[in-house]
Amino acid sequence: MSGLSATFSSPLMQRALLEAIMTGALAGVVGVHVVLRRLSFFTMSLTHATFPGLVIAELLGISLFTGTAVFGLVVVALIALLGRVRALDSSTATGVVLAGGFALGVVLISSQPGFTKDLTAFLVGSILTVQTSDLVITAVVGVAVVTVLAVLHKELVLGAFDPANLAALGYPVLLLDGALLVAIELTVVAAIPAVGTILAVALIVAPAATARLWTDRIGMSMVIASTVGALSGAVGLVVSNQWDIAAGPTIVVVVSTIFAVSLLVKGVSWPVGRQAAPRAASPVG
Amino acid sequence: MSRLFIEPFQAGYLQRALIEAVILGIVGGIVGVHVVLRRLEFMADALTHTVFPGMAAAFVLGGSLYVGALITGVASAVLLTLLTRNRRVTSDAALAVLLTGFFSIGVIIVSRSRTYTADLTTLLFGRVLAVDVAQIIATALTGLAVLVVLWALHKELVLRAFDPEATAALGYSVTTLDLVLNVLITLVVVSAVRAVGSVLVIALLVTPAAAAQLLVRRSVGAMMATAAVIGAVGGWLGLVVSYEGSIHHGWRLASGGTIVLVLTALFASVLAGTATVATLRRHGRRPGAAATTLEAAAS
Repeated sequence: MSGLSATFSSPLMQRALLEAIMTGALAGVVGVHVVLRRLSFFTMSLTHATFPGLVIAELLGISLFTGTAVFGLVVVALIALLGRVRALDSSTATGVVLAGGFALGVVLISSQPGFTKDLTAFLVGSILTVQTSDLVITAVVGVAVVTVLAVLHKELVLGAFDPANLAALGYPVLLLDGALLVAIELTVVAAIPAVGTILAVALIVAPAATARLWTDRIGMSMVIASTVGALSGAVGLVVSNQWDIAAGPTIVVVVSTIFAVSLLVKGVSWPVGRQAAPRAASPVG
Repeated sequence: MSRLFIEPFQAGYLQRALIEAVILGIVGGIVGVHVVLRRLEFMADALTHTVFPGMAAAFVLGGSLYVGALITGVASAVLLTLLTRNRRVTSDAALAVLLTGFFSIGVIIVSRSRTYTADLTTLLFGRVLAVDVAQIIATALTGLAVLVVLWALHKELVLRAFDPEATAALGYSVTTLDLVLNVLITLVVVSAVRAVGSVLVIALLVTPAAAAQLLVRRSVGAMMATAAVIGAVGGWLGLVVSYEGSIHHGWRLASGGTIVLVLTALFASVLAGTATVATLRRHGRRPGAAATTLEAAAS
C-alpha cells in the first residue's frame, strides 16, 4: 500500500486519478443509454468526426472544449439528417460522416507544424498532462449530463424500448432523442482532451455492456457501469505507472478485461443449459 | 487540363501511388457494396482498428506488416462472430469493446518503441506516396483474389443480404457466408492499410458504395460497377488535389486524407444531385406520383 500512496503523492498523478474516476463514472452512466439504443457506432463516429473541431480550435486559439463541442453539434446534426435520406441506412450515414470528418481533421492538421504530437494525443489521450481546467470542465459537464439524464430518466428509457408509445403519450420524441444525443456528445467532448477518442469510446461502451451482463435493471446498470468505469480508470493508472506503459491504452485494456471476465462468468450461452435458447434463423446480424 | 490531371503523374512515386489508389478504390468500392447492403460499416471500422496490434507487433519485431495485420484481422473476425452469438451483448457493443481493446494493445506495443509518435502516425495514416512495386503487386493479387471470390459467390452473398431465411432454407450456411464476407473485408482492410492507413480505410469501403446506393438501385452488379468507378476516380482526383495544393499553392495536404475528402465531396454532390432531381420531378407531376418519382430519381 505504501507503493500506492507513493504513486499518488504527486499532483500530476492526483489530477490524472481524479480525471480518470470522474470520466469513468460519467461515461458509465451515459453508456447505459448508448448500449440500450445501440449507439456505439454513433459514439465512435462522434469521437472521430469531431477531430476537425479540435484542430480549428487550436488554430483559432479558442478552448479545445468549445471547438469540439460546437463542431460536435454539427456532426450530430449531419448524421441525423443524412440518416433520414430514404436510400441511405443510418449506419451508412454514420460511416460516411466518420470518415469524412476525420479526414478533414487530418488534412487540416497536415498543413500545420507539430503534426504527429497532436494527433497521437487526440487518439490515445494524455491523461498525465490533465490540467485543472480539464477537471473543471469534466466536473461541470458531468453534473449537467447526469442531472438531465436523471430528470428525463423515465422518458428516455421508454423512448429506447417503445418510441411509438412515448409519442402516443404526447412526449416530443425528437426533442428527447436530441437531448440524449447532445448528452452523449458533451460526454465524449469533455473526455477527449484528457483521455483521447479510443478511450472515450471504451469507457462509454465497455462498462455499460458489462453491467448489462450482470443486471436487467436500468438504474442498477448505471450504478454498476459507473463503478466499473471509475474503478478501471484507477486500476489502469496504477498498472500503467508500475510498468511504465501508456496510461490511456492501459485503462482500456483493464476495462476490456473486466468485460471479458464478466462475459465468461455470466454471459456465455454454453451449448447445454438454461441459456441455450434457440436462435433466429440468421445467426449474425 | 492535361497539365492539371496528367502532369503530377510523371514522377515515379506518384505513378505508383496512383496505381495503388486506383486498385484500392475499385476493390474497396465493390466490396463496399456488400458492406453497405449488410450494414457492416461498424464491423469494417472495427477491423481497421483490430489489425493495428498485429501491425504494431510486426513493426517492433521487424516482421512483415502485411502478415501481422492479417493474423490479428482474421483473429478478430472470428472473435466478432463468436461474441455476437451472445444475446445479452448487442453486436455493436461487442464491436466497440473489441475495437478499443485491440487498438489499445497495439498502442501499448508501439509505445515500447523509441520513436513512438512517428511510428503510430505511420501506422495510422499510411504513406501512399511511399508505396513500392512489391506492395502494388501484393495489393493487386489480394484484390484479384477478393474479386474472384465475390464473383463466384455473388448470388449466394446477395441472397443472404436480402433474405437470410431463404438462404438457409436453400441449404446454404449463413454463418459460413458471413465468415467468408468478413474475411474478404479483412483482406481489403489489410491491403489498404499501408497505403491509406488503418483509420482511413473505412472511407474506401463505405463512401463510394454509399454514393452508388444513391445513384443506382437496379441491381447489385450495377451498384458495384458505379462504386468501383467512384472509388477509382476519388483516388485519382485525391492525388491530383493533394499534388496541386502541395506543389503549386504551398498547402501541405496529406494525400490519404485528401483522397477521403474528395470521396466525401463526390458523395455530397451525388446526394445533392439526386435530391434536386427528385424535388424537380415531384413538382413537375401530380402529388400522387411523388413517391414513385423519388424511387425513379434514385435509380
